[in-house]
Amino acid sequence: MAEPYITLVSSLPYLPPFEQAGRSPITRLRLEQRLHNLDTDDARQLAKAEALVSWRMSLAKPKTDADMVLRSRAAMQDISQPALRDFIEFRIDQQVILAGLRRRNAGADASALEPIAGASRWVRHIAAHWGDPNFKLAAVYPWIGEARGYLDGNNAAALDSLMMRVIWQKLGPIAESNKFGFEAVFAFVFKWDILQAWLARDAAQAKSRFHDLIKEIKNDS
Amino acid sequence: MEPLILALGWVGLYAPLALGAVGSMIGCSRAGSAACGALLEVESGYGRYIGVAAMPSSQTIYGIVVTMALRRELSVENSPGIFGLGLLAGLALLFSASAQGSACAASINVSKNKLEIFGISLAPAALVEGFAVFAFVFALVLAAGIPK
Repeated sequence: MAEPYITLVSSLPYLPPFEQAGRSPITRLRLEQRLHNLDTDDARQLAKAEALVSWRMSLAKPKTDADMVLRSRAAMQDISQPALRDFIEFRIDQQVILAGLRRRNAGADASALEPIAGASRWVRHIAAHWGDPNFKLAAVYPWIGEARGYLDGNNAAALDSLMMRVIWQKLGPIAESNKFGFEAVFAFVFKWDILQAWLARDAAQAKSRFHDLIKEIKNDS
Repeated sequence: MEPLILALGWVGLYAPLALGAVGSMIGCSRAGSAACGALLEVESGYGRYIGVAAMPSSQTIYGIVVTMALRRELSVENSPGIFGLGLLAGLALLFSASAQGSACAASINVSKNKLEIFGISLAPAALVEGFAVFAFVFALVLAAGIPK
């Protein structure tokens, strides 16, 4: 078992389950200081992955589906760590499924997925099973039914919590697969990101951000 | 043929010490790396972590004792026995020290966040030590049966 990051992993604090956390156990600045111990190539791959699939994604969030697809393809060509690639694919699959559910809820047909064709292995499958409540993916992604329920009930907060929980649960076994390796480090970073997003949840701020986004879209068009 | 058998005898004689020391180096390095990382996270109790990091050094001591127990005038009659016993005891010490280092690193990693589990988290490392002691004790017992 390769254990290249024993010191780094041991210098990271325990992350409590995000729903029970009262405060973040480490600041971004401190985390970045610790991440300086990463190998240059691993650090580069992690930065790319963070910009692509972290919960709070980078500020340079792509504005169109086509941009997102292009960006994810470009990033995936630069990412060689198998566990990190698997995680990115998992996150993109998750986003594609949610996009499918949202578009179907809005009354669109399967052609609404055309802009994201090629983003995930499931796009064609989803389009082919557009009429099935769970796109015939419930066996692979058991959370789809619950997510659909929250979307139908316009419960965005519960949907967010569910998605965070799904990602958190995905990251657990990844970290365990190599407790002192890159897998443990990137799992920590993505978990920390979720924890930060959870702690930063603020209804008033969200409302203001929503209005800003609406203005931005109006100004663009 | 005789020089080869005698050479194997020398290998067996020194193997417990050499392989035990290699294992201790690997184990102490792993546990020590974890201890260094933990020092960044904790405010006190530094000695505790460094102490745990030293646990895999015991295999070198066992190796010294086994080598001393095997030490005798090498002959064609006793060299094969010394080779077999010494090499296998050395390998057991090497793997146990290396595995103990990983167990100690895991213990340091979890106990830095939850001090109350410090003792129990060392149980896997203690179990590994137990197996090293078995290998050590039985090497001594069997060494007594090798012709002088």
